[in-house]
Amino acid sequence: MTAPRIDSHKQGRGIDFDRVSFYFGELLILRSVTFHIPRGDALVLTGANGVGKSTLLQLCAGLLQPTSGETRIAGHKPHPERPSDLFDKGVRVGFVFQDGALLHNMSALANVTLALSYHAELLGLDEKGIDARARGALLEVGINQADFHASPAHLSHGVKKRVAVARALALEPNFVFFDDPDTGMDPKSLQLMHDVIERFCQDKGVTAVVVTNHDRLMDRLGVRPHALLYGELVELPLPSERFKR
Amino acid sequence: MRETLPYDARSQKRAQPTRLARLGHATLELSLGFSRLVQTAASALISSRRLGAAARRVVRRIALAQVLYTGVHAVTLISVIGLLIGGTLIIQTHLMAPAAGGEMLGTILVAVVVRELAPLVTAIVVTGRSGTAIATELGNMKANSEVAALASMGIDPAHYIVLPRLIGATVSVLVLTVYFAFVAILGGYAVSLLIASPSFTAIQAGASRTLMLADLPLFLAKAGGLGALVGWLPCHYGLSVKSSPTEVPQQASRAVVRCMGACVAYNLVVTAGFYAWVGPPIR
Repeated sequence: MTAPRIDSHKQGRGIDFDRVSFYFGELLILRSVTFHIPRGDALVLTGANGVGKSTLLQLCAGLLQPTSGETRIAGHKPHPERPSDLFDKGVRVGFVFQDGALLHNMSALANVTLALSYHAELLGLDEKGIDARARGALLEVGINQADFHASPAHLSHGVKKRVAVARALALEPNFVFFDDPDTGMDPKSLQLMHDVIERFCQDKGVTAVVVTNHDRLMDRLGVRPHALLYGELVELPLPSERFKR
Repeated sequence: MRETLPYDARSQKRAQPTRLARLGHATLELSLGFSRLVQTAASALISSRRLGAAARRVVRRIALAQVLYTGVHAVTLISVIGLLIGGTLIIQTHLMAPAAGGEMLGTILVAVVVRELAPLVTAIVVTGRSGTAIATELGNMKANSEVAALASMGIDPAHYIVLPRLIGATVSVLVLTVYFAFVAILGGYAVSLLIASPSFTAIQAGASRTLMLADLPLFLAKAGGLGALVGWLPCHYGLSVKSSPTEVPQQASRAVVRCMGACVAYNLVVTAGFYAWVGPPIR
Protein backbone atom coordinates (compact mmCIF):
# COMPACT_ATOMS: atom_id res chain seq x y z
CA MET A 1 0.00 0.00 0.00
CA THR A 2 1.26 3.46 -0.76
CA ALA A 3 0.53 6.40 1.51
CA PRO A 4 -0.39 9.77 0.04
CA ARG A 5 2.15 12.57 -0.18
CA ILE A 6 3.93 13.16 3.08
CA ASP A 7 5.87 16.36 3.05
CA SER A 8 7.35 16.97 6.47
CA HIS A 9 8.91 20.42 5.90
CA LYS A 10 5.62 21.87 4.70
CA GLN A 11 3.70 20.59 7.69
CA GLY A 12 1.48 23.03 9.50
CA ARG A 13 0.42 24.91 6.41
CA GLY A 14 -2.03 22.63 4.70
CA ILE A 15 -3.89 19.72 6.24
CA ASP A 16 -2.03 17.32 8.54
CA PHE A 17 -3.14 13.93 9.80
CA ASP A 18 -0.94 12.41 12.46
CA ARG A 19 -1.76 8.77 13.27
CA VAL A 20 -5.47 9.47 13.02
CA SER A 21 -7.91 6.67 13.78
CA PHE A 22 -11.65 7.01 13.63
CA TYR A 23 -14.39 4.67 14.73
CA PHE A 24 -18.14 5.03 14.24
CA GLY A 25 -19.23 3.07 17.31
CA GLU A 26 -17.60 -0.30 16.67
CA LEU A 27 -16.96 0.36 13.01
CA LEU A 28 -13.41 1.18 11.96
CA ILE A 29 -13.20 3.94 9.38
CA LEU A 30 -9.59 5.10 9.64
CA ARG A 31 -6.66 3.16 11.06
CA SER A 32 -3.76 5.31 12.27
CA VAL A 33 -3.51 7.34 9.08
CA THR A 34 -0.70 9.88 8.65
CA PHE A 35 -0.57 12.23 5.69
CA HIS A 36 -0.09 15.84 4.72
CA ILE A 37 -1.75 17.89 2.02
CA PRO A 38 0.49 20.89 1.35
CA ARG A 39 -1.17 24.31 1.09
CA GLY A 40 -2.48 24.85 -2.42
CA ASP A 41 -2.61 21.16 -3.29
CA ALA A 42 -5.62 18.95 -3.82
CA LEU A 43 -6.58 15.51 -2.61
CA VAL A 44 -9.18 13.51 -4.49
CA LEU A 45 -10.98 10.72 -2.64
CA THR A 46 -12.88 8.01 -4.42
CA GLY A 47 -14.29 4.60 -3.64
CA ALA A 48 -17.43 2.68 -2.92
CA ASN A 49 -20.34 3.96 -0.85
CA GLY A 50 -20.06 3.51 2.89
CA VAL A 51 -16.30 3.19 3.20
CA GLY A 52 -15.97 6.52 5.01
CA LYS A 53 -15.04 9.08 2.35
CA SER A 54 -17.42 11.71 3.76
CA THR A 55 -16.19 10.98 7.28
CA LEU A 56 -12.59 11.48 6.17
CA LEU A 57 -13.63 14.71 4.45
CA GLN A 58 -15.27 15.98 7.65
CA LEU A 59 -12.17 15.02 9.63
CA CYS A 60 -10.05 17.00 7.15
CA ALA A 61 -12.30 20.04 7.62
CA GLY A 62 -12.17 19.75 11.40
CA LEU A 63 -15.88 19.03 11.69
CA LEU A 64 -15.25 15.71 13.44
CA GLN A 65 -12.88 14.85 16.25
CA PRO A 66 -10.71 11.79 15.58
CA THR A 67 -10.99 8.86 17.99
CA SER A 68 -7.20 9.01 18.37
CA GLY A 69 -4.38 10.93 16.74
CA GLU A 70 -4.37 14.56 15.69
CA THR A 71 -5.57 16.58 12.74
CA ARG A 72 -4.35 20.06 11.92
CA ILE A 73 -5.63 22.57 9.45
CA ALA A 74 -3.20 25.36 8.52
CA GLY A 75 -1.20 24.26 11.55
CA HIS A 76 -4.11 24.76 13.93
CA LYS A 77 -5.90 22.05 15.85
CA PRO A 78 -9.62 22.32 15.06
CA HIS A 79 -12.26 22.23 17.80
CA PRO A 80 -15.55 21.00 16.34
CA GLU A 81 -17.39 22.81 19.18
CA ARG A 82 -15.62 26.13 18.55
CA PRO A 83 -15.15 26.44 14.79
CA SER A 84 -14.97 30.24 15.06
CA ASP A 85 -11.47 29.79 16.56
CA LEU A 86 -10.18 28.63 13.18
CA PHE A 87 -11.98 31.43 11.39
CA ASP A 88 -10.37 33.97 13.75
CA LYS A 89 -6.96 32.52 12.80
CA GLY A 90 -7.58 33.13 9.11
CA VAL A 91 -8.79 29.67 8.10
CA ARG A 92 -11.71 30.11 5.70
CA VAL A 93 -13.44 26.82 5.04
CA GLY A 94 -15.85 26.27 2.18
CA PHE A 95 -17.63 22.95 2.55
CA VAL A 96 -20.11 21.66 -0.01
CA PHE A 97 -22.13 18.86 1.55
CA GLN A 98 -23.56 15.90 -0.34
CA ASP A 99 -27.12 17.27 -0.24
CA GLY A 100 -26.20 20.94 0.09
CA ALA A 101 -27.10 21.16 3.82
CA LEU A 102 -28.77 24.53 3.35
CA LEU A 103 -30.50 26.02 6.38
CA HIS A 104 -34.14 25.26 5.72
CA ASN A 105 -35.63 28.21 7.56
CA MET A 106 -33.78 30.70 5.35
CA SER A 107 -33.94 31.77 1.73
CA ALA A 108 -31.11 30.95 -0.71
CA LEU A 109 -29.76 34.49 -0.36
CA ALA A 110 -29.95 34.41 3.45
CA ASN A 111 -28.05 31.12 3.43
CA VAL A 112 -25.20 32.85 1.62
CA THR A 113 -25.27 36.08 3.65
CA LEU A 114 -25.42 34.30 7.04
CA ALA A 115 -21.69 33.61 7.48
CA LEU A 116 -20.82 36.99 5.93
CA SER A 117 -23.03 38.79 8.47
CA TYR A 118 -21.74 36.66 11.35
CA HIS A 119 -18.10 37.41 10.50
CA ALA A 120 -18.71 40.91 9.11
CA GLU A 121 -16.02 42.49 11.31
CA LEU A 122 -13.34 39.96 10.41
CA LEU A 123 -14.20 40.16 6.72
CA GLY A 124 -14.45 43.96 6.82
CA LEU A 125 -17.89 43.99 5.24
CA ASP A 126 -20.85 46.30 5.76
CA GLU A 127 -24.51 45.54 4.93
CA LYS A 128 -24.10 46.61 1.29
CA GLY A 129 -20.88 44.67 0.87
CA ILE A 130 -22.45 41.53 2.34
CA ASP A 131 -25.43 41.74 0.00
CA ALA A 132 -23.28 42.44 -3.06
CA ARG A 133 -20.89 39.58 -2.34
CA ALA A 134 -23.72 37.10 -1.70
CA ARG A 135 -25.60 38.08 -4.88
CA GLY A 136 -22.38 37.91 -6.87
CA ALA A 137 -21.65 34.38 -5.61
CA LEU A 138 -25.18 33.21 -6.43
CA LEU A 139 -24.99 34.66 -9.94
CA GLU A 140 -21.56 33.10 -10.45
CA VAL A 141 -23.01 29.60 -10.01
CA GLY A 142 -25.92 30.40 -12.30
CA ILE A 143 -28.71 30.84 -9.77
CA ASN A 144 -31.73 32.66 -11.19
CA GLN A 145 -32.55 35.95 -9.44
CA ALA A 146 -36.08 34.60 -8.99
CA ASP A 147 -34.68 31.83 -6.77
CA PHE A 148 -32.75 34.21 -4.48
CA HIS A 149 -35.63 34.50 -2.06
CA ALA A 150 -36.94 30.95 -2.38
CA SER A 151 -36.58 28.63 0.59
CA PRO A 152 -34.49 25.47 0.04
CA ALA A 153 -37.67 23.37 0.19
CA HIS A 154 -38.77 24.98 -3.07
CA LEU A 155 -35.46 24.49 -4.88
CA SER A 156 -34.45 21.48 -6.95
CA HIS A 157 -31.57 19.26 -5.86
CA GLY A 158 -29.19 20.73 -8.42
CA VAL A 159 -30.04 24.33 -7.52
CA LYS A 160 -29.64 23.56 -3.81
CA LYS A 161 -26.15 22.21 -4.50
CA ARG A 162 -25.24 25.29 -6.51
CA VAL A 163 -26.48 27.53 -3.68
CA ALA A 164 -24.26 25.50 -1.35
CA VAL A 165 -21.32 26.19 -3.67
CA ALA A 166 -22.22 29.89 -3.70
CA ARG A 167 -22.26 29.84 0.11
CA ALA A 168 -18.75 28.38 0.06
CA LEU A 169 -17.55 30.79 -2.67
CA ALA A 170 -18.81 33.87 -0.86
CA LEU A 171 -16.44 33.28 2.04
CA GLU A 172 -13.45 33.36 -0.35
CA PRO A 173 -12.13 30.17 1.25
CA ASN A 174 -8.54 28.99 1.49
CA PHE A 175 -9.67 25.42 2.23
CA VAL A 176 -12.45 23.82 0.20
CA PHE A 177 -14.13 20.47 0.65
CA PHE A 178 -16.51 18.94 -1.86
CA ASP A 179 -18.55 15.90 -0.90
CA ASP A 180 -19.85 14.21 -4.06
CA PRO A 181 -20.49 17.59 -5.69
CA ASP A 182 -21.55 16.22 -9.05
CA THR A 183 -24.36 13.81 -8.23
CA GLY A 184 -27.89 14.43 -9.47
CA MET A 185 -27.07 17.38 -11.73
CA ASP A 186 -28.05 18.20 -15.28
CA PRO A 187 -25.18 18.40 -17.85
CA LYS A 188 -25.03 22.22 -17.75
CA SER A 189 -24.93 22.38 -13.95
CA LEU A 190 -22.40 19.55 -13.93
CA GLN A 191 -20.13 21.47 -16.27
CA LEU A 192 -20.47 24.57 -14.10
CA MET A 193 -19.75 22.60 -10.93
CA HIS A 194 -16.65 20.99 -12.49
CA ASP A 195 -15.43 24.44 -13.62
CA VAL A 196 -15.74 25.76 -10.06
CA ILE A 197 -13.95 22.74 -8.57
CA GLU A 198 -11.18 22.93 -11.15
CA ARG A 199 -10.71 26.64 -10.47
CA PHE A 200 -10.36 25.97 -6.74
CA CYS A 201 -7.96 23.08 -7.31
CA GLN A 202 -5.75 25.17 -9.58
CA ASP A 203 -5.69 28.12 -7.17
CA LYS A 204 -2.38 27.86 -5.31
CA GLY A 205 -3.84 29.65 -2.32
CA VAL A 206 -6.56 27.06 -1.87
CA THR A 207 -6.19 23.57 -0.44
CA ALA A 208 -8.91 21.31 -1.79
CA VAL A 209 -10.26 17.90 -0.87
CA VAL A 210 -12.76 16.45 -3.34
CA VAL A 211 -14.81 13.31 -2.88
CA THR A 212 -16.02 12.03 -6.21
CA ASN A 213 -16.61 8.90 -8.25
CA HIS A 214 -16.79 10.87 -11.48
CA ASP A 215 -13.97 9.71 -13.80
CA ARG A 216 -14.20 12.80 -15.98
CA LEU A 217 -13.71 15.12 -13.00
CA MET A 218 -10.72 13.12 -11.74
CA ASP A 219 -9.07 13.29 -15.17
CA ARG A 220 -9.86 16.97 -15.48
CA LEU A 221 -8.28 17.74 -12.11
CA GLY A 222 -5.27 15.59 -13.00
CA VAL A 223 -4.79 14.61 -9.37
CA ARG A 224 -4.37 10.92 -8.66
CA PRO A 225 -7.28 9.78 -6.55
CA HIS A 226 -6.96 8.00 -3.22
CA ALA A 227 -9.26 5.34 -1.86
CA LEU A 228 -9.92 4.12 1.65
CA LEU A 229 -8.93 0.49 1.95
CA TYR A 230 -9.10 -1.34 5.26
CA GLY A 231 -9.03 2.02 7.03
CA GLU A 232 -5.93 3.21 5.17
CA LEU A 233 -5.43 5.54 2.24
CA VAL A 234 -4.06 4.13 -0.98
CA GLU A 235 -3.22 5.94 -4.19
CA LEU A 236 -4.97 4.85 -7.38
CA PRO A 237 -4.14 5.68 -10.98
CA LEU A 238 -6.14 8.29 -12.84
CA PRO A 239 -9.05 6.83 -14.84
CA SER A 240 -7.25 7.77 -18.08
CA GLU A 241 -4.07 6.00 -16.90
CA ARG A 242 -6.10 2.91 -16.01
CA PHE A 243 -7.35 2.85 -19.55
CA LYS A 244 -3.85 3.05 -21.04
CA ARG A 245 -2.71 0.08 -18.94
CA MET B 1 -2.32 -3.27 -2.77
CA ARG B 2 -5.64 -5.00 -3.28
CA GLU B 3 -7.00 -4.81 -6.76
CA THR B 4 -10.65 -4.88 -5.91
CA LEU B 5 -12.87 -2.26 -4.43
CA PRO B 6 -15.09 -1.91 -2.48
CA TYR B 7 -14.10 -3.67 0.67
CA ASP B 8 -16.50 -4.41 3.50
CA ALA B 9 -15.61 -2.02 6.31
CA ARG B 10 -17.96 -3.90 8.62
CA SER B 11 -15.51 -6.77 8.71
CA GLN B 12 -13.08 -4.46 10.53
CA LYS B 13 -14.97 -4.51 13.83
CA ARG B 14 -13.28 -4.29 17.18
CA ALA B 15 -13.20 -7.36 19.45
CA GLN B 16 -16.38 -7.99 21.53
CA PRO B 17 -16.03 -6.28 24.96
CA THR B 18 -16.29 -8.23 28.23
CA ARG B 19 -19.12 -7.68 30.76
CA LEU B 20 -16.84 -5.56 32.96
CA ALA B 21 -15.84 -3.49 29.95
CA ARG B 22 -19.51 -2.98 29.09
CA LEU B 23 -20.24 -1.80 32.67
CA GLY B 24 -17.31 0.58 32.49
CA HIS B 25 -18.53 1.79 29.12
CA ALA B 26 -22.04 2.42 30.49
CA THR B 27 -20.66 4.38 33.46
CA LEU B 28 -18.46 6.38 31.15
CA GLU B 29 -21.38 7.07 28.82
CA LEU B 30 -23.51 8.32 31.75
CA SER B 31 -20.85 10.69 33.01
CA LEU B 32 -20.09 11.81 29.46
CA GLY B 33 -23.80 12.44 28.90
CA PHE B 34 -23.96 14.66 31.97
CA SER B 35 -20.80 16.53 31.04
CA ARG B 36 -22.18 17.07 27.50
CA LEU B 37 -25.39 18.44 29.02
CA VAL B 38 -23.40 20.95 31.08
CA GLN B 39 -21.14 21.68 28.11
CA THR B 40 -24.14 22.61 25.93
CA ALA B 41 -25.08 25.47 28.25
CA ALA B 42 -21.53 26.40 29.27
CA SER B 43 -20.21 26.72 25.71
CA ALA B 44 -23.25 28.81 24.75
CA LEU B 45 -22.64 31.21 27.63
CA ILE B 46 -18.87 31.37 27.13
CA SER B 47 -19.17 31.94 23.37
CA SER B 48 -21.27 35.05 23.96
CA ARG B 49 -18.24 36.73 25.56
CA ARG B 50 -15.73 35.53 22.96
CA LEU B 51 -17.44 36.62 19.78
CA GLY B 52 -17.65 40.00 18.11
CA ALA B 53 -20.45 42.55 17.80
CA ALA B 54 -21.56 41.31 14.36
CA ALA B 55 -22.04 37.76 15.63
CA ARG B 56 -23.90 39.11 18.68
CA ARG B 57 -26.20 41.11 16.39
CA VAL B 58 -27.08 37.97 14.42
CA VAL B 59 -27.78 36.05 17.63
CA ARG B 60 -29.85 38.91 19.09
CA ARG B 61 -32.17 38.73 16.07
CA ILE B 62 -32.69 35.00 16.60
CA ALA B 63 -33.29 35.51 20.34
CA LEU B 64 -35.98 38.10 19.58
CA ALA B 65 -37.62 35.69 17.12
CA GLN B 66 -37.51 33.02 19.84
CA VAL B 67 -39.26 35.37 22.30
CA LEU B 68 -41.94 35.87 19.65
CA TYR B 69 -42.47 32.13 19.08
CA THR B 70 -42.11 31.03 22.69
CA GLY B 71 -43.54 34.00 24.54
CA VAL B 72 -45.89 36.11 22.45
CA HIS B 73 -47.48 33.20 20.59
CA ALA B 74 -48.18 31.41 23.89
CA VAL B 75 -50.17 34.28 25.44
CA THR B 76 -53.61 32.94 24.42
CA LEU B 77 -52.89 29.46 25.77
CA ILE B 78 -51.47 30.85 29.02
CA SER B 79 -54.52 33.16 29.39
CA VAL B 80 -56.98 30.28 29.09
CA ILE B 81 -55.03 27.96 31.40
CA GLY B 82 -54.41 30.74 33.95
CA LEU B 83 -58.08 31.78 34.11
CA LEU B 84 -59.27 28.18 34.46
CA ILE B 85 -56.69 27.22 37.09
CA GLY B 86 -57.38 30.37 39.17
CA GLY B 87 -61.12 29.67 39.03
CA THR B 88 -60.74 25.97 39.85
CA LEU B 89 -58.54 26.76 42.82
CA ILE B 90 -61.16 29.05 44.34
CA ILE B 91 -63.97 26.51 43.74
CA GLN B 92 -61.96 23.78 45.53
CA THR B 93 -61.10 26.14 48.41
CA HIS B 94 -64.75 27.14 48.77
CA LEU B 95 -65.82 23.48 48.77
CA MET B 96 -63.29 22.50 51.45
CA ALA B 97 -63.67 25.63 53.59
CA PRO B 98 -67.04 27.28 52.88
CA ALA B 99 -66.45 29.78 55.65
CA ALA B 100 -63.22 31.04 54.10
CA GLY B 101 -63.45 34.79 53.72
CA GLY B 102 -61.89 37.19 51.26
CA GLU B 103 -58.62 37.42 53.21
CA MET B 104 -58.19 33.65 53.17
CA LEU B 105 -58.85 33.56 49.42
CA GLY B 106 -56.23 36.28 48.91
CA THR B 107 -53.72 34.29 50.97
CA ILE B 108 -54.40 31.12 48.98
CA LEU B 109 -54.12 32.90 45.66
CA VAL B 110 -50.72 34.32 46.58
CA ALA B 111 -49.34 31.20 48.26
CA VAL B 112 -50.52 28.74 45.65
CA VAL B 113 -50.67 30.74 42.44
CA VAL B 114 -47.76 33.18 42.73
CA ARG B 115 -45.34 30.91 44.57
CA GLU B 116 -46.11 27.53 43.05
CA LEU B 117 -48.52 27.26 40.16
CA ALA B 118 -47.52 30.23 38.03
CA PRO B 119 -43.85 29.30 37.50
CA LEU B 120 -44.40 25.54 37.28
CA VAL B 121 -47.49 25.50 35.07
CA THR B 122 -46.01 28.15 32.76
CA ALA B 123 -42.78 26.14 32.42
CA ILE B 124 -44.69 22.92 31.71
CA VAL B 125 -46.94 24.60 29.14
CA VAL B 126 -43.94 26.21 27.40
CA THR B 127 -42.05 22.89 27.48
CA GLY B 128 -44.97 21.12 25.81
CA ARG B 129 -45.40 23.86 23.26
CA SER B 130 -41.91 25.19 22.50
CA GLY B 131 -39.64 22.52 23.98
CA THR B 132 -40.93 20.01 21.45
CA ALA B 133 -40.54 22.54 18.66
CA ILE B 134 -36.96 23.40 19.66
CA ALA B 135 -35.88 19.76 20.00
CA THR B 136 -37.51 18.78 16.71
CA GLU B 137 -36.08 21.76 14.83
CA LEU B 138 -32.55 21.19 16.09
CA GLY B 139 -32.81 17.43 15.60
CA ASN B 140 -33.77 17.95 11.97
CA MET B 141 -30.97 20.48 11.55
CA LYS B 142 -28.51 17.93 12.90
CA ALA B 143 -29.84 15.10 10.73
CA ASN B 144 -29.72 17.30 7.61
CA SER B 145 -26.08 18.33 8.34
CA GLU B 146 -27.19 21.95 8.84
CA VAL B 147 -25.33 22.11 12.16
CA ALA B 148 -22.17 20.80 10.47
CA ALA B 149 -22.71 23.38 7.71
CA LEU B 150 -22.79 26.16 10.33
CA ALA B 151 -19.58 24.83 11.88
CA SER B 152 -17.92 24.66 8.45
CA MET B 153 -18.62 28.38 8.01
CA GLY B 154 -16.91 29.16 11.32
CA ILE B 155 -20.20 29.69 13.16
CA ASP B 156 -20.22 28.22 16.67
CA PRO B 157 -23.35 26.04 16.88
CA ALA B 158 -23.57 26.69 20.65
CA HIS B 159 -23.55 30.43 20.08
CA TYR B 160 -25.80 30.52 17.04
CA ILE B 161 -28.27 27.79 18.03
CA VAL B 162 -28.27 27.31 21.81
CA LEU B 163 -27.69 30.81 23.20
CA PRO B 164 -30.64 32.58 21.50
CA ARG B 165 -33.02 29.76 22.48
CA LEU B 166 -31.72 29.83 26.04
CA ILE B 167 -32.23 33.60 26.26
CA GLY B 168 -35.55 33.49 24.40
CA ALA B 169 -37.00 30.75 26.61
CA THR B 170 -35.77 32.37 29.85
CA VAL B 171 -37.21 35.79 29.00
CA SER B 172 -40.46 34.23 27.73
CA VAL B 173 -41.04 32.03 30.79
CA LEU B 174 -40.20 34.92 33.13
CA VAL B 175 -42.70 37.28 31.49
CA LEU B 176 -45.34 34.59 30.95
CA THR B 177 -45.12 33.60 34.63
CA VAL B 178 -45.95 37.16 35.71
CA TYR B 179 -48.79 37.17 33.19
CA PHE B 180 -50.03 33.74 34.32
CA ALA B 181 -50.10 34.87 37.98
CA PHE B 182 -52.05 37.99 37.03
CA VAL B 183 -54.59 36.09 34.91
CA ALA B 184 -55.01 33.26 37.47
CA ILE B 185 -55.66 35.78 40.26
CA LEU B 186 -58.16 37.49 37.96
CA GLY B 187 -59.87 34.17 37.23
CA GLY B 188 -59.90 33.25 40.91
CA TYR B 189 -61.36 36.63 41.84
CA ALA B 190 -64.04 36.36 39.14
CA VAL B 191 -65.12 32.91 40.36
CA SER B 192 -65.03 33.97 44.02
CA LEU B 193 -67.41 36.83 43.17
CA LEU B 194 -69.82 34.27 41.73
CA ILE B 195 -69.76 31.82 44.62
CA ALA B 196 -68.81 33.77 47.76
CA SER B 197 -69.00 37.46 46.88
CA PRO B 198 -66.02 38.58 48.97
CA SER B 199 -64.97 42.17 48.78
CA PHE B 200 -61.97 43.04 46.63
CA THR B 201 -60.42 44.88 49.60
CA ALA B 202 -60.55 41.71 51.72
CA ILE B 203 -58.82 39.64 49.01
CA GLN B 204 -56.25 42.40 48.53
CA ALA B 205 -55.61 42.54 52.28
CA GLY B 206 -55.05 38.76 52.42
CA ALA B 207 -52.74 38.88 49.42
CA SER B 208 -50.71 41.82 50.79
CA ARG B 209 -50.37 40.12 54.18
CA THR B 210 -49.03 36.96 52.55
CA LEU B 211 -46.67 38.59 50.08
CA MET B 212 -43.16 39.09 51.44
CA LEU B 213 -40.08 40.78 50.08
CA ALA B 214 -38.51 37.31 49.90
CA ASP B 215 -41.16 36.38 47.34
CA LEU B 216 -39.32 38.46 44.74
CA PRO B 217 -36.07 36.42 44.72
CA LEU B 218 -38.16 33.23 44.97
CA PHE B 219 -40.20 34.27 41.95
CA LEU B 220 -37.13 35.28 39.95
CA ALA B 221 -35.22 32.11 40.88
CA LYS B 222 -38.14 29.92 39.94
CA ALA B 223 -39.26 31.60 36.74
CA GLY B 224 -35.71 32.37 35.55
CA GLY B 225 -34.36 28.92 36.41
CA LEU B 226 -37.32 27.10 34.91
CA GLY B 227 -37.09 29.24 31.77
CA ALA B 228 -33.41 28.37 31.40
CA LEU B 229 -34.25 24.67 31.77
CA VAL B 230 -36.96 24.96 29.10
CA GLY B 231 -34.42 26.47 26.69
CA TRP B 232 -31.46 24.33 27.66
CA LEU B 233 -32.69 20.72 27.77
CA PRO B 234 -34.59 20.68 24.44
CA CYS B 235 -31.52 22.23 22.76
CA HIS B 236 -29.29 19.55 24.24
CA TYR B 237 -31.52 16.65 23.24
CA GLY B 238 -32.20 18.11 19.80
CA LEU B 239 -28.47 18.40 19.16
CA SER B 240 -27.97 14.84 20.44
CA VAL B 241 -29.49 13.51 17.21
CA LYS B 242 -26.65 11.94 15.24
CA SER B 243 -27.57 11.49 11.61
CA SER B 244 -30.85 9.62 11.30
CA PRO B 245 -34.20 11.44 11.03
CA THR B 246 -35.80 8.58 12.99
CA GLU B 247 -33.91 9.80 16.07
CA VAL B 248 -35.68 13.18 15.92
CA PRO B 249 -39.06 12.16 17.46
CA GLN B 250 -37.25 9.97 20.00
CA GLN B 251 -35.05 12.83 21.15
CA ALA B 252 -37.97 15.31 21.07
CA SER B 253 -40.03 13.06 23.32
CA ARG B 254 -37.02 12.50 25.62
CA ALA B 255 -36.43 16.26 25.75
CA VAL B 256 -40.02 17.04 26.80
CA VAL B 257 -40.28 14.25 29.38
CA ARG B 258 -36.92 15.02 30.98
CA CYS B 259 -37.50 18.77 30.83
CA MET B 260 -40.84 18.44 32.63
CA GLY B 261 -39.25 16.15 35.22
CA ALA B 262 -36.38 18.59 35.69
CA CYS B 263 -38.85 21.50 36.07
CA VAL B 264 -40.83 19.72 38.80
CA ALA B 265 -37.63 18.71 40.62
CA TYR B 266 -36.15 22.21 40.34
CA ASN B 267 -39.40 23.74 41.60
CA LEU B 268 -39.38 21.41 44.61
CA VAL B 269 -35.74 22.19 45.45
CA VAL B 270 -36.27 25.96 45.23
CA THR B 271 -39.51 25.77 47.27
CA ALA B 272 -37.79 23.69 49.97
CA GLY B 273 -34.84 26.09 49.97
CA PHE B 274 -37.17 29.08 50.20
CA TYR B 275 -39.05 27.79 53.23
CA ALA B 276 -35.84 26.65 54.87
CA TRP B 277 -34.57 30.22 54.43
CA VAL B 278 -37.77 32.08 55.40
CA GLY B 279 -38.53 29.56 58.14
CA PRO B 280 -41.84 28.46 59.70
CA PRO B 281 -44.53 29.45 60.32
CA ILE B 282 -45.42 29.67 56.67
CA ARG B 283 -47.70 32.56 56.13
